[in-house]
Amino acid sequence: MISRRLKIIRKKWYTDNIFGLEFNYPGLRPLPGQFLQIQVDEGVDPFLNRPISIASYKRARLLMVIKVVGRGTKMLSAKERGDQVTLFGPFGRKFRPKKKKSLLIAGGIGVAPLHFLAEYFCKHSVNFDMIYGVRTNRDFILRKDLEQMADNTIWVAEKGYRRAGTVVSVVKKIDLTDYEIAYTCGPKEMLIALQKLDMPIPVYAFCEDFLGCGCGLCLGCAIMYRGEYKRICVDGPILELGGIDFEV
Amino acid sequence: MKCRIFGIDFKNPVFLASGTFEFGLIYKNVSNRVGAIFTKGITLQPRKGNPPPRVHETACGLINSVGLENPGVEVFSRDILPQMRKLKTRIIVNVAGFTPDDFVKIVGELDSRVDAFELNVSCPNVKKGGVAFGRDPDICAEVVANVRRVTKLPVIVKLTANFCDPLIVGRRCVEAGADGLSLINTLHAMAFDIDKKRVLIKGGLSGPAIKPVALFCVHRLKDLGVPLIGVGGIMSGRDVYEFLLAGASAVAIGSATLRDPYAPLRIIKELKRLTTSG
Ligand SMILES: Cc1cc2nc3c(=O)[nH]c(=O)nc-3n(C[C@H](O)[C@H](O)[C@H](O)COP(=O)(O)OP(=O)(O)OC[C@H]3O[C@@H](n4cnc5c(N)ncnc54)[C@H](O)[C@@H]3O)c2cc1C
Ligand SMILES: Cc1cc2nc3c(=O)[nH]c(=O)nc-3n(C[C@H](O)[C@H](O)[C@H](O)COP(=O)(O)O)c2cc1C
Ligand code: FES
Repeated sequence: MISRRLKIIRKKWYTDNIFGLEFNYPGLRPLPGQFLQIQVDEGVDPFLNRPISIASYKRARLLMVIKVVGRGTKMLSAKERGDQVTLFGPFGRKFRPKKKKSLLIAGGIGVAPLHFLAEYFCKHSVNFDMIYGVRTNRDFILRKDLEQMADNTIWVAEKGYRRAGTVVSVVKKIDLTDYEIAYTCGPKEMLIALQKLDMPIPVYAFCEDFLGCGCGLCLGCAIMYRGEYKRICVDGPILELGGIDFEV
Repeated sequence: MKCRIFGIDFKNPVFLASGTFEFGLIYKNVSNRVGAIFTKGITLQPRKGNPPPRVHETACGLINSVGLENPGVEVFSRDILPQMRKLKTRIIVNVAGFTPDDFVKIVGELDSRVDAFELNVSCPNVKKGGVAFGRDPDICAEVVANVRRVTKLPVIVKLTANFCDPLIVGRRCVEAGADGLSLINTLHAMAFDIDKKRVLIKGGLSGPAIKPVALFCVHRLKDLGVPLIGVGGIMSGRDVYEFLLAGASAVAIGSATLRDPYAPLRIIKELKRLTTSG
């Protein structure tokens, strides 16, 4: 783990509550699923750092895509180009995705870490398709990029006019035996619904929850997995969907 | 910045608090440069810990309800302690008991392979209706006296300020043979989920929010005649200096490491600058 104080070299608003921050961060060498802990403010309020996935890393350019959901992300959204931010990481288990035909299933801001997985697959010549669901047609982000990287893409919006639905309704309809493995990231309700489908292929979930330290020190990020508590920050965030007990 | 407390030499007076640095094995370069590390609370039996949510951020701090998740004394002794002993720092085991007997058994099991013990008397005493040991001066004294009989190593009691006067409990512990006192443990706290209209978390408050309380407690016990270890909300060398002024001989860094695992190194540097500039 290293900590870096870096300047924001680019800031972009994708929608009215999702923005991206870009940094020049040589030597990071991240793997899919890994994340950084962003210090929201130099002062002690908010006290904890916020975990944000690596959404893209190309030629030392690091992109993080953040949705404003509370106080910390709101404060981060006020940062502008040229402002300095302290980043810790990368954190998360060193997970090396199998080089097999894959299906990526993204819900909402869950697209951020899957975008980086898509980059990883392109770099390693792995074929994959993508399903990406959001609330309304205006909520899609990084769409062109993803279309370029994936073999096939299906976009769904709950309130869309052309194709209204959710990723779960799409997954139900497609032939999953075309794939050897699936990866998903999105809101908890979506993960629970996908788990209930009991898909015939291994499904890996990128788990997101409130963390303490983000690096294995505090045991604050417990998730019940195959009968025992695992730490999201070091045993995950990528865990097999079927093993997660969402009831605990 | 060497210091000698309880007849032991420490390379500096900045220690790592219990429960916020695992067993010191993740960031060894930090562990190796602090005066000592307090282990996570060790219980007789392994404990799974509490269901999530286990941490919740509050103004200038956090509430945790980890529930003493730990592998139990047997696994700690066999698998973890040998690794910890390779660290270049002092090891103080945080002993968490649910009965007076637990403390004696855990200390007996680990005696002579560690540098000191810290008795965590914040757990509910299952033999006495679940009231925390730390609120009962008689039981605390009994626990200390019993532990005293099975070890020659320094015995530190970690006091709580929850619903009791640490001065009264602390004095009894010292009379019963405690070599030092550390204070404070987290303060009882809770938060509500207003959407679901129910309790979000009940646990212990830590971080800068509790620093003034911790300082007050240390200062209140400064004349008890044993070394005090100040714990609570330390984020900087200046904070450490405040605790030393209040009467502490050393300090322990807790929540600060959750924000920055390297914070203890910065704090040591800052303290050095403060103490050498007079
Ligand atoms: C590994 C990982 C990767 C992530 N990657 C990304 C990413 O790439 N992009 C992104 O936008 N987000 C990502 N997240 C989520 C992001 O970290 C959170 O959205 C962020 O920390 C929220 O901070 P906040 O201060 O804005 O919200 P907060 O104010 O902390 O909370 C937001 C909402 O949750 C409620 N809340 C707070 N604490 C609790 C609790 N303990 N239990 C229940 N409800 C609570 C609050 O009341 C509020 O309504 C990731 C999370 C993890 C763990
Ligand atoms: C996540 C977490 C776990 C803790 N676990 C223990 C423990 O096992 N035993 C113990 O005596 N204190 C435990 N504590 C309390 C700390 O050691 C310390 O007394 C308290 O947090 C105040 O210091 P701080 O404000 O610097 O964190 C824990 C604190 C936190 C935040
Ligand atoms: S967040 Fe601290 S251990 Fe995972």
